Amino acid sequence: MTQFVTLSGRAIRAALRTPEALLPTVFIPLFFLVVNVGQAARIFPATGTPFLEGQNYAAFQLPSALLLASSFGGAAQFMVEDIEGGYFDKLRASPVSRTAIVLGQLIAEGVKSLGIALLIVLMALPFGIDIASGLLGLLLLLLLSGGWAVVFSGYMQLIALKTRSAAATQSGSLIFFPLLFLTPNFVPRDMLTRPMEVAATFNPVTYIMEGLRSLVLDDLNWTRIGRGFLVVAIFGALMVFLNVRTIRNYD
Amino acid sequence: MALAVEAEQLVKKFTGRAGTVEAVNGVDLQVAGGEMFGFLGPNGAGKSTTVRMLTTLTTITSGRARVAGVDVQRDADGVRNKIGVALQEAGLDPRQTGRELLVLQAKLFGLSTAAAAERAQELLELVDLVDAADRRIKGYSGGMKRRLDLASALVHRPDVLFLDEPTTGLDPASRLVVWDEVRRINGQGTTVFLTTQYLEEADQLCSRLAIIDGGLIVREGTPDELKADLRERRGLAADPTLDDVFLDATGRVREVVEGQVQEVR
Repeated sequence: MTQFVTLSGRAIRAALRTPEALLPTVFIPLFFLVVNVGQAARIFPATGTPFLEGQNYAAFQLPSALLLASSFGGAAQFMVEDIEGGYFDKLRASPVSRTAIVLGQLIAEGVKSLGIALLIVLMALPFGIDIASGLLGLLLLLLLSGGWAVVFSGYMQLIALKTRSAAATQSGSLIFFPLLFLTPNFVPRDMLTRPMEVAATFNPVTYIMEGLRSLVLDDLNWTRIGRGFLVVAIFGALMVFLNVRTIRNYD
Repeated sequence: MALAVEAEQLVKKFTGRAGTVEAVNGVDLQVAGGEMFGFLGPNGAGKSTTVRMLTTLTTITSGRARVAGVDVQRDADGVRNKIGVALQEAGLDPRQTGRELLVLQAKLFGLSTAAAAERAQELLELVDLVDAADRRIKGYSGGMKRRLDLASALVHRPDVLFLDEPTTGLDPASRLVVWDEVRRINGQGTTVFLTTQYLEEADQLCSRLAIIDGGLIVREGTPDELKADLRERRGLAADPTLDDVFLDATGRVREVVEGQVQEVR
């Protein structure tokens, strides 16, 4: 536990000392939020669009922005730097639990993402977005965003460990775009064309997005929230398992 | 005296798309506790791979190794608790300060926050980095980074210290500082396993040497024994240098090609 807290602290400190890496994480999702709302808000007015539950289209788009922000983690890049600079070997030559090495980075990424999600929500509130599920809902919204950050950073870190290459790791992040766009990103799942609906149903990110969206638009809908957290739990455990196994077999 | 490092028929094979490469081909080593042992060899001879196997960083394909009395394959964490490692590439996190790095390393070895802070201060004084302790490591010079790396390998007072080319890339003054540190550490009873490409360094520091070439140990002994052996075998009139021993052991010859210009083939 001490090792895990120590390594998480180091990762958070490193992130705070690299503000140039944090700024795009906030501004790019906000940029997409503004652009998406600007393009579709008139098609889906607050009054007369049942799936908006009386809110404006920005509230519907907020989960996409949160997911995007949570997918901009720096854990994998830090891992590549540690590998290239020799610090990773220094850690491996210490009696440090391999799980602590993995979780130290990933939980730090989750905490960082939670802070960024809060900042984005706070910036969105003046534009008429309301978190309909209340304070508990806001907390769950932040935790679910942070949970997705852990999953996606785990995937990215796995690529970093396997390839030990900054370029390959960077390329690996591109998978986020099909994952994000094969979801009910612009309209609810039942309004998608049939092929898109099938793709979205098989895409685990859909359930996280629907969970986040229900927290923004509805009262606490435990079925949707539960599905979102279940996806995070399953894929988070899988990523931690694969990362730890890769470090144990690292040569 | 008990053995600090023991290797029997140590083999490492790397398998890739291009086939299998045998980097270490059956190395036998014995290093006594408290010894300063030099491990020499040309580039690609298997020095670093051997060190990485002994320090648990690379899996052992076959053979057996014990470090500080602990079996490397059966109890890797047991070995890690007893060794300090400073590899070729100074393993530092440039975003931390020197003090933060040492405190973190000490905590990873189980020291409390207060004990870690105290140990970090001791080590900073030891390697003469107190003034730079609270600066980010990315601003350190090469020599400062080496000294900090050495300090970070000592946080838990290891029984065996592995130094893989600790002075590569350093200017002569910084090299002498590192030599003094290594002598002092060894003087306190820590076994030092040093790999180097600088024969003068091995001659100055090490009580015993092994030369590896093509993944096999080709010479082993004290510097004086190795020189005497060469002198006897070659019937040399003058005492050979360690350079001569190294060239002879690795099948290379030095020729005077033009005036004082020498060429190694």
